[in-house]
Amino acid sequence: MSVVRNVELAPPSSRRGLAVLFPGANRWRVPLSVLTLCILPWVLPSQALAVNVLIYGLLAVGYNLLFGYTGLLSFGHAAFFGAGAYATGIAIGTFGVNWFVAMVVGLAVAGFLATIMGMLAIRTRGIYFSMVTLALSQLVYYTALQASSWTGGENGLRGFTVSTLSFPGFSLNFLDPLVKYYAITIVVALALWFVSRALNSPFGAVIEAIRENETRARACGYNVERTKLLSFVLSGILCGLAGTLSAMHLSIVPLDSLHYQTSGLIVMMTLLGGAGSFFGPFIGALAFLLMEDIFSLWTTNWQLIVGVIFILFVLYLPKGIWGTLISWGKGR
Amino acid sequence: MNEPIMSVANVGKQFGGLIALRGITADFKEGQITAIIGPNGAGKSTFFNILSGALKPSSGTLKFRGADMAGVPQHDYVHRGIARSYQITNIFPNLAVLENVRVAAQAFRSRMNIWTNRGVYEDIEDKASATLAAVGLSGRAGTLAKFLAHGQQRALEIAIALVADPALLLLDEPTAGMGPEETREMVALIEKLAADRTILLVEHKMKMILGLSDRVLVLHHGELLADGTPEEIRANGEVRRVYLGQNDGYA
Amino acid sequence: MTVQLIAMQLFSGLALGAILIMVALGLSIIFGMLGIVNFAHGALFMVGAYAGLYVAGLTGSFWWALVLAPVLIGLFGMLIERFLIRPLYGRSPDDPLLLTFGLGYVLVEAVRILFGTDGIPFSTPAALRGVVNLGIGFFPLYRLFVIGVVLAVLLLLWLGLERTKFGLIVRAGSADPLIMRVLGVDISKLWLVVFGIGVGITALGGVLAAPMRNVSPEMGTLVLAEAFVVTVIGGMGSLAGAVIAGLIVGVAVSMTSLFAPEMATIVMFALMALILLVRPNGLYGRAAPGL
Repeated sequence: MSVVRNVELAPPSSRRGLAVLFPGANRWRVPLSVLTLCILPWVLPSQALAVNVLIYGLLAVGYNLLFGYTGLLSFGHAAFFGAGAYATGIAIGTFGVNWFVAMVVGLAVAGFLATIMGMLAIRTRGIYFSMVTLALSQLVYYTALQASSWTGGENGLRGFTVSTLSFPGFSLNFLDPLVKYYAITIVVALALWFVSRALNSPFGAVIEAIRENETRARACGYNVERTKLLSFVLSGILCGLAGTLSAMHLSIVPLDSLHYQTSGLIVMMTLLGGAGSFFGPFIGALAFLLMEDIFSLWTTNWQLIVGVIFILFVLYLPKGIWGTLISWGKGR
Repeated sequence: MNEPIMSVANVGKQFGGLIALRGITADFKEGQITAIIGPNGAGKSTFFNILSGALKPSSGTLKFRGADMAGVPQHDYVHRGIARSYQITNIFPNLAVLENVRVAAQAFRSRMNIWTNRGVYEDIEDKASATLAAVGLSGRAGTLAKFLAHGQQRALEIAIALVADPALLLLDEPTAGMGPEETREMVALIEKLAADRTILLVEHKMKMILGLSDRVLVLHHGELLADGTPEEIRANGEVRRVYLGQNDGYA
Repeated sequence: MTVQLIAMQLFSGLALGAILIMVALGLSIIFGMLGIVNFAHGALFMVGAYAGLYVAGLTGSFWWALVLAPVLIGLFGMLIERFLIRPLYGRSPDDPLLLTFGLGYVLVEAVRILFGTDGIPFSTPAALRGVVNLGIGFFPLYRLFVIGVVLAVLLLLWLGLERTKFGLIVRAGSADPLIMRVLGVDISKLWLVVFGIGVGITALGGVLAAPMRNVSPEMGTLVLAEAFVVTVIGGMGSLAGAVIAGLIVGVAVSMTSLFAPEMATIVMFALMALILLVRPNGLYGRAAPGL
């Protein structure tokens, strides 16, 4: 079944084709995105907010690979975010490894979990997929709740900190907010570069074909299940990366980071910004966190306002903020 | 050229208690245009879906160039040389027209590469452009496929199948919803394509079929009612009675 | 560990299963007919419990709450269908799902504003307190009552679907919506009513669950996951599947809590994963459409 969601043109693949319509945007999207992220701490009301935009933006970018580009609406991506965070925290707190190894462990665990969950969930289609990913991620949530000797159970994981990032020859003070911000930005920039390459690759073309028309993609000779699984795993690893960064940033992992409400948050951010657009997820994360910041000054029930805004977006602006701007820019 | 490119032996298909096809046997010779006709519900689409791998038969065998296709997944059919088009236009609506064809061509070069820029496969793009030119869509290469007119979408539909350069091309009602002018163009295209490949098509437009095909299969209630040249089919009393007779304007 | 204990645990498994059936039923009815997954399902369950609390507070009677709350919330469900979901027909099937997720978010917050963030106890009506001797052990009367109500609802649904003209239309409509258009049935009215009934049944589940689970704004979050597990195991849109799956999950959870209580919640999700491996469409599921 074709899930017709988006909007943004395929990344220009051609000398004569799309590149003509949209020159340069593709080549410059990573540097422009990173540049924008670099100025965030100077324009946002607080640096804490800026770090959250980075981490949740990366989370939404990873999710967008699956939802926006492959057309699969997962409600279980909190599992990979949480798994990355827990694995990193446990690796540091319990096993005392250094920050770099801990990050690799976080990615590996998230990737492993995504492979297992993906293999199960991809056997189902359409709306079923959303329900199954949600339920499987709750399996992870309740497992973490029960395995409290490892995870701290309901209280979340505590007792680990990353205060310096040591490299051969020099080290960075991770407690300095600005150093921390730009250190995370470098990781996010690498991830964006990776995502951009993947989207421009043959694989990127195939996932969009699957989003547009799964039946036809199969008839064209693509192994749809395997491609979806690869997309699911890559997306899971990127969300896991956001999790490891979150753990290192906060020095705690709340149990709720595994809950499907967190998955819902990722979905909302991605859709608000614009699913299937490169920078949209960051815009979505920024919009969501800004709304939280502003509305929570007035009322503790800010989620009511955000929820209503989200509903209005689904009804009237399904392309999201960035996606709508892009289609205006193209004059359609 | 005497070896059939595809042979179907005793193929049957059941959906739950419903028997859609029973015991179809037929060989398809290389280089011919064969049409499959029959009233609605005769089992044409089921048969077509089996030939293209979208459905697996409940009984019987399907052989392509002598190889049994039983264990072959659908996505491998095109790699073996069987490509199909769809009756209901089945394109990639939010991709550019060129990209629709390019992604189909890409399946023969790279499927899971996540690192190389797809632009480096210039030969794929050239092939896609050439195929677009062959179906007369060169001028619309950069348009999103959903903005094409119906007839152009049908042409794109064929181009996506064609770019695979299949030995056996399956066309499911290639002229569905087309006016006389567009139909004439499509027939000319099919005749051109038939020069170097085998074509099997499902159609409703009787006049077109009888003029175009080398051979006609008539399905009725899931069974093969008749199999012969257009002249033989035209002369077949049974076919006239169950099918053609309902519609005097066939010839 | 005696045979009696196991038999007793088996019975409480069936009782838990009855509640799970109730939890999944509304979701399954709406999916079967409209083809959409209501992600506000858990929130509407919770809203049903609060509506029950409110009506019981006004009238002083649990029985009024049991009748009025589902009707009120069912009507509210019709408003949701008419004004929020209907504009999305014909768009991506993901859109109603996203919208109802947002709606669930809003409903939880609205209840927090109206009733506060803390859980509220909902006392079991006097007539249904106490325990009954079943021969194998003592069992809470209220749980027996719940089983009875669930059986009655299932019976009514079955009669309604099999014996009435409305049921005939619903069954035909869920098999092929196009036929309805051809026959001149106003399908949008049908969907409105079915959505209302689905939400009403969900709210009834909330009222019934209120005396057993603490009534709180978050009570719906687990319910949504439970309902998904039951419908995925049973097969989407199949009432028989929901019933069988509800009972299987209920017994599995109950038996696990006898032997390894910490695994009780985990086991239902693990069961679902297992079923997915063997039968991706669930026990009674139709093959996924669209080859």
